Amino acid sequence: MSDDLDLNSLSDEDLVAQMHDDLYDGLKEEIEAAVHVLLGRKWTPYDILTQALVEGMRIVGVDFRDGILFVPEVLLSANAMKAGMAILRPLLAETGAPKVGKMIIGTVKGDIHDIGKNLVCMMMEGAGFEVINLGINNPVENFLKAIEEHQPDIIGMSALLTTTMPYMKVVIDTLKEKGIRNDYVVLVGGAPLNEAFANAIGADAYCRDAAVAVETAKALLARRQGSVQQRATA
Amino acid sequence: MSEAAEHHGRRAGAGRAAKRASRMAAVVSTVPFITRKIPIYEVLNEEGLSLIEHNADTVLEEVGIDFKGDAEALAIWRDAGADVREERVHMPRGLCRQIIQERAPRSYTQHARNPARSVVMGGPHTVFAPAYGPPFVHDLDRGRRYGTIEDFQNFVKLAYMSPWLHHSGGTVCEPVDLPVNKRHFDMIYAHMRYSDKPFMGSVTAPERAADSVEMARLLFGDAWIDPASGKPRTAITSLINANSPLTWDATMLGALKVYARANQANLLTPFILGGAMAPVTVAGSCTVTLAEALAGIAFVQLVAPGAPVILGSFASSMSMKSGAPTFGTPEPAHVLYAMAALARRLGVPFRSGGALCAAKVPDAQAAYESAMTMLPACLAGTNFILHTAGWLEGGLAMGYEKFVMDADQAGMLQTMLNGVDLSENGQAMDAIREVGPGKHFLGCAHTQANFESAFHTSSLADNNSYEQWDAEGRLDMSQRANAQWKRMLNEYEAPPIDPGTDEALRDYMTRRKGAFADSNV
Repeated sequence: MSDDLDLNSLSDEDLVAQMHDDLYDGLKEEIEAAVHVLLGRKWTPYDILTQALVEGMRIVGVDFRDGILFVPEVLLSANAMKAGMAILRPLLAETGAPKVGKMIIGTVKGDIHDIGKNLVCMMMEGAGFEVINLGINNPVENFLKAIEEHQPDIIGMSALLTTTMPYMKVVIDTLKEKGIRNDYVVLVGGAPLNEAFANAIGADAYCRDAAVAVETAKALLARRQGSVQQRATA
Repeated sequence: MSEAAEHHGRRAGAGRAAKRASRMAAVVSTVPFITRKIPIYEVLNEEGLSLIEHNADTVLEEVGIDFKGDAEALAIWRDAGADVREERVHMPRGLCRQIIQERAPRSYTQHARNPARSVVMGGPHTVFAPAYGPPFVHDLDRGRRYGTIEDFQNFVKLAYMSPWLHHSGGTVCEPVDLPVNKRHFDMIYAHMRYSDKPFMGSVTAPERAADSVEMARLLFGDAWIDPASGKPRTAITSLINANSPLTWDATMLGALKVYARANQANLLTPFILGGAMAPVTVAGSCTVTLAEALAGIAFVQLVAPGAPVILGSFASSMSMKSGAPTFGTPEPAHVLYAMAALARRLGVPFRSGGALCAAKVPDAQAAYESAMTMLPACLAGTNFILHTAGWLEGGLAMGYEKFVMDADQAGMLQTMLNGVDLSENGQAMDAIREVGPGKHFLGCAHTQANFESAFHTSSLADNNSYEQWDAEGRLDMSQRANAQWKRMLNEYEAPPIDPGTDEALRDYMTRRKGAFADSNV
């Protein structure tokens, strides 16, 4: 049941508002069309990303956190976001626009549970992050290899079992030994964790759910970039 | 494939504002009364049920039932062939059962002023109604206090807004601020005006029953008489309690006759606290209950053949240390299961159960005890479950928080009684094929099409992480319930009523209230 809404007839402001609604409703093709309209109006890819897509997904995240939206709906929204991102990504690279951030994430060695971690991937991608999903049962070598290959901003680790969660400390200790721990934000999550555990193993934060993971990632990266700028101008 | 799975294109009323409005709305559209699709659970076999029936007939014949202070009732029994000695009536073995099975309807429709809210009592159906009779009300802010007409109206409004309560109930609390001989007008009017669900009438005097019938006649107007039968439609179901053991008294008999002769339904309930009104055993309680019910229901059918009836059973155990009634205990659950089976064999609708508890506040005791009565009531195949919402401290208090907590649970039970979906969509083979091993089902087309209604979701349970619960103020269930009932009352909108009908009801009340002096006796 499509209506006959002509995106070209909308003002920039109304079009962006429409994109927020379309993202909310998980309408992939409509988001793709709107991204092309904005590009045609000479919007920069960065402005489309931040004002239309990331802001739209921020709204989705708020209503997910507040229990208004259901998980399957957020999946659709994230898919629509990714479709818009697929158009913008090469253009963003060409223009050298600032990036939201890049994350590698995996379930640690011994643990094969990944549905929760995959929800985090979905929400992070929905928020505009580039996510490298390492899958399940990752020894520290996999994390090191991915760090070297992808140069992420964030390292995410997940575990469902009390028997596998100590392995997160093995990964962090290895990063420390190599002198690279402070080059990255380390986020951990999973049902048996809590904040005290995250502090004890030397992670930057415990993220209790996917929506919080996004908020935490944004907040920690902003602080980090702020402090880098501060150092640069000091 | 369903529309949701195809999902392409924008839809009218889409976007954030529309979804937030629909998902956060307090009022859910009407949920019809339950038609059960799961088996009935029974605790007695044929031999056991026959034994109780035999013993009940022995009680009726040998011990007899008192019909107190009602000469007409005694005459009616004498004419029917009973052995009447002073006020004690001895019914020959099988007489009551025969009268009932020849005359009483197996089920009936109780009409609501909004026809979409009418309910069927009997058969595979279950109807949930609020608690009945508490003189006190309780909430977290003001504690325990006497009920007022404002509290009464509030509970009518809350029941109206609770989708899983199919019935507005009767004395949802006693409005102690109004004179005893006139409060029934305002109670009946509250059910009629602030809800459009079916309700119960006044039973505390024959003339108050007559007022209830007259107001129902005004409310239904042209729809009052059913053209097919020439009789009034059944718009009221009223609670006629036996004065157990083995006694029906003049007050209840007076109301009973008024309702039966107007083709309104009588719910005849022996009220048993085991050890006081019946022997301490399950079989003994069942025998007394059945004997009283047989006598009461047969009497209705002698007064008005074919008038709607329900066989009720209210049974609680008792603390043998203090004499206090106890709830959520296993023995009354056995009575409930047995009585439901006995009512089915007799061929009349059955009432029992409720969210019964002895707890003073909506705590763990309240929840456990309530669940331990609601579950048997549902599994037993009970047709009318009075006291589904609000009951505290043995029925002495109506709790605001308890009310919304119970109403929330009623939704769970309704979903359970609805049974298992074995349709093609229920089998979900397309989803299993689409996802395969090692992935998740959250994004597949079947989940996209079904997620919103797949699981009954409590409006009060907190399922969030510890951290989120902590961040939101560490509220327990009763605190969340406190916020919910306030929000509901705040958002309440009265169902529309024809202004002429409303005027007629108000005129009637004004005229009748002016016809005699206020009295508290």
